[in-house]
Amino acid sequence: MTRQEAEQLLQNTFKLSHFYDEQWAAIDKLLKGEQVLLIEKTGFGKSLCFQFPAVLHKGMTVIFSPLIALMRDQVKKLNLLGIAANCVNSEQTPEENTQIIKDAISGEIKILYIAPERQENSEWVEATRRMNLSMVVVDEAHCISVWGHDFRPAFRRIINLVNLLPKGLPVLATTATATKRVEADIAAQMGGNLTTIRGNLMRDNFRLLVIKVNSDDEKLIWLGQNLGNIPGTGILYTGTRVNTEIYSKWFEYLNISSASYNAGLDPESRIAVENGLMENRWKCVISTNALGMGIDKPDIRFIIHTQIPQSPIHYYQEIGRAGKDGQPAYIILFFYGEDKKLPEAFIEGGRPAIPKYEKVITAIKNEMLGERELMKRTNLKQTQIRVIKADLIEQKIIREVTVGKSKKFEYIPGAPQLNTKTFEELRASKTRDLDKMLEYVETTQSRMKYLCDYLGDSSIHDFTNCDNTGLKKRTVSVNEEWTKKLQDFREDYFPELDVETKGANLVIGIAASYYGVSNVGGALHRSKYENAGDFPDFLLRLALKAYRKKFGQEKFDLILYVPPTKSGDLVKNFAVKVSEVLKFPISHNLIKHRTTSEQKVFENSYLKSDNVKDAFELKTPDEVRGKTILLIDDIFDSGSTIKEIGRYLSNLGAVKIAPLVIARTVGGDLV
Amino acid sequence: MAHLPRWGYLKINNLIIKFYHEKKLSIEDFFQLSEDEWQTEFDLGYKETEDLKKAKSELVNNAFLAETLINEGYEIIPITSPEYSKTLKANLKAAHAPALLYVKGNKQIMQEKSIAIVGSRSASEIALAFTDNIAMLASREHKVVVSGFAKGVDKQALDSAINYKGQSIIVLPQGIMTFGSGFKLYYRQIVDGDVLVLSTFFPKAPWKAELAMARNPIIYGLADEICVAESSEKGGTWSGVVDGLRKKRIIYVRKPETSERNANDLLIQKGAIPVNFDGKPESGHYPLTSANSAIFVRENEENNQKRILDLLKNGEYSAKEIIQKLDLNWSEKQLRVFLENQKDVECMSGKPLRFTLKDSTIKQKSLFD
Repeated sequence: MTRQEAEQLLQNTFKLSHFYDEQWAAIDKLLKGEQVLLIEKTGFGKSLCFQFPAVLHKGMTVIFSPLIALMRDQVKKLNLLGIAANCVNSEQTPEENTQIIKDAISGEIKILYIAPERQENSEWVEATRRMNLSMVVVDEAHCISVWGHDFRPAFRRIINLVNLLPKGLPVLATTATATKRVEADIAAQMGGNLTTIRGNLMRDNFRLLVIKVNSDDEKLIWLGQNLGNIPGTGILYTGTRVNTEIYSKWFEYLNISSASYNAGLDPESRIAVENGLMENRWKCVISTNALGMGIDKPDIRFIIHTQIPQSPIHYYQEIGRAGKDGQPAYIILFFYGEDKKLPEAFIEGGRPAIPKYEKVITAIKNEMLGERELMKRTNLKQTQIRVIKADLIEQKIIREVTVGKSKKFEYIPGAPQLNTKTFEELRASKTRDLDKMLEYVETTQSRMKYLCDYLGDSSIHDFTNCDNTGLKKRTVSVNEEWTKKLQDFREDYFPELDVETKGANLVIGIAASYYGVSNVGGALHRSKYENAGDFPDFLLRLALKAYRKKFGQEKFDLILYVPPTKSGDLVKNFAVKVSEVLKFPISHNLIKHRTTSEQKVFENSYLKSDNVKDAFELKTPDEVRGKTILLIDDIFDSGSTIKEIGRYLSNLGAVKIAPLVIARTVGGDLV
Repeated sequence: MAHLPRWGYLKINNLIIKFYHEKKLSIEDFFQLSEDEWQTEFDLGYKETEDLKKAKSELVNNAFLAETLINEGYEIIPITSPEYSKTLKANLKAAHAPALLYVKGNKQIMQEKSIAIVGSRSASEIALAFTDNIAMLASREHKVVVSGFAKGVDKQALDSAINYKGQSIIVLPQGIMTFGSGFKLYYRQIVDGDVLVLSTFFPKAPWKAELAMARNPIIYGLADEICVAESSEKGGTWSGVVDGLRKKRIIYVRKPETSERNANDLLIQKGAIPVNFDGKPESGHYPLTSANSAIFVRENEENNQKRILDLLKNGEYSAKEIIQKLDLNWSEKQLRVFLENQKDVECMSGKPLRFTLKDSTIKQKSLFD
């Protein structure tokens, strides 16, 4: 097919007049059954490069994409054009997915998006035997490479699959962000006759600014003062989930409309925020970097980072979502010296200590284990198990197999020793990347050029789109008014405890503070472990304030407190004081009828639950029947203890149990 | 191609011989040829060409399944691979050797000396005791026990081999991906490299009586020696042995007590060699175990052991290298066990394991010694 003929078809089907040269180069090769790696910036029109040939092919095209939001979005658009497209993903019900797979088998779907993890699903693999497949696309192909910024183990299998495909079946791999090293890695892994097409990365509608500050407070203040003045709507990226919460409460306090988003939200909430973003419902969406990849919103007018990303690739990828319509977009990065500690901690702590790896290897050598069994055997956090598991699979020491319906890990006979050198190389490489990101902050050259150079694009442009090349430099002016505002906000902000659970009449409770974020943690630690006596009075004041904020003038029938494992009467004395102020009766009858270990000994919530299971007893069980209970403890971590007591009291007839604690830890183990 | 309906092993193997051995084409290249070339150069008719065309169009579909297979640690060994059991190829020839083996576990086991212990699903106590005894003798001599994972003799042979720390091949009457719980059961043995699970059927095929019958010749084919514990006058064992005798295999049968009611004697009449409880043949027959020539074996072994230790004085070698250099009649496992029990031998970690003598002064002496 000539380009002219193709463009005629393009007009008819996609309502577009022509291809870019690089698009046609890719499409031409795919139509000839070749393999192509396409590296083009966001907004270039990579999708058309597979959607167009997909329409021409007799059979179906399968697109492996890690981004569910993108799947949904593209399916919607293709359907509007009258092209039969659909997606299979974990956010749809199994029945929906089964139906879509059936449609795919009967040839009713032209373009099917699926997540790479789907290759682990036997229903899918079984179904592929009966599909008429014409082309395979690997989207976000940088996820194939451990040298990229977002390596995903599930992509390893997709690569193996690609290598098993027969000659002559067109394969397209696409990415917006690949350094030369990642490009080479992808090409090597895909093997064979791969043609790489690489475009330029210049985004001249960006307004790149770096704002250096002296504290996190100054970031909050600058945003309070200026966010309203930036045109349009956009995204604010924070480094942690806790910070998405803090920033969103701050904006709420200032009456700036915002929504917060992170990967921990349930699918409905996530879809709601994504839709709200599309409809400009808020000035900004505050998010961890989980949001935005693949969201096809042309008019994101600003992207602000309150926390420096780990590398220029992360940064380019995240800001790439702004200004796809070509109109100006503000790209702001805050920085103060302490900020580098978070990415440093990610790099240092990205991998568990080697003995933990050995522990996992030994456990799996002895028996075939699922993830949950493995967590129980090794007392490791789920996050750590997942990192270790991915590394061990990568190093061909273990593999994941399906036994019946469950996934188990098995040891590979004759496997090599754990290679820790790779870990050191990766760490060194990540440290270099972080240094390069820090250099971006300090550079006096064009920031756009700096990013393009880093990503292996050395094409020549007129770079005038940053605060080093003509745009005004921004700084923070802290004044008394704003310092006061921030202070008031801080004293009025308390983390919630989401403990609602099946089979218990627990309601959402409240903590006086986060454990690591303020002076609260230190005070608790001194009382608990350094014999500093009762919890100081300021903790009581703060806890009561949190109580008032959450529960107002509500009365509870009874105060109970969590009986201690070790730290004596601290919680009891604290609860007595709360009871004196709030004038609710207190009971001392909740006890442990068997010894438990301190919860902090256990690294994961399965073991924490096991530790406290059936450990509590109310000496006077009738005391709580039909009552509302305020349940007091010092530190809230996984919530296992509160939930266990909640279930127990509910069984005894308590109608409402609300937890009040002094501090809530940041994180928990089941992220 | 291996699972084309109504394509027998002979037809498949003949085609493979033509393109792979005669024309030196890889299977990938073969499938790139046009239909014309298939027909003219390989004498394929219309029906066959259509079958191959269908197989070709399914390559992409099968890639998805193949990826899952490989990811879960199953291996696919084509008849053209050096890893394919030489015993199987030699015994079954092109007419009966399957084009593909699906395996999981220690493939090396297929290259070792082997014995199949077969018999009825409802075997007598004495047949099971015999099975246990033969499995023990075989394991002691580092022979691999091949069995079919059926009740009775098969299961006894496997369990005994495991019990006596021997090695086993389990030949499945089903597709290899449907053996889930079995892999859990023999997990330790597979991890330790003592068990290989093998199937010749489509990986997802469920158990079927026909598959169980079709599997019997594979058991016989994989084994250097065949030993029958007990057979009735019909059924899998019977037809398997009769088939084996027709193919001129030497088959040993346990000589039954006069009080037993089974078809062992009938098989002996048909040409199988009777053996006693220790597997020793009646006089005039070729020995099954080497028990009756123990003295010769011992001398020979001692000589071999000396040669091995002498070799190790000169440097580090893997088990495979030692066997090759000294042209030993040992299995790798046998050699490893021997070396690991020698206090003067040092085992260097790595893959493969390498061995040398501990006392470095014994190693190549320098001019100044």
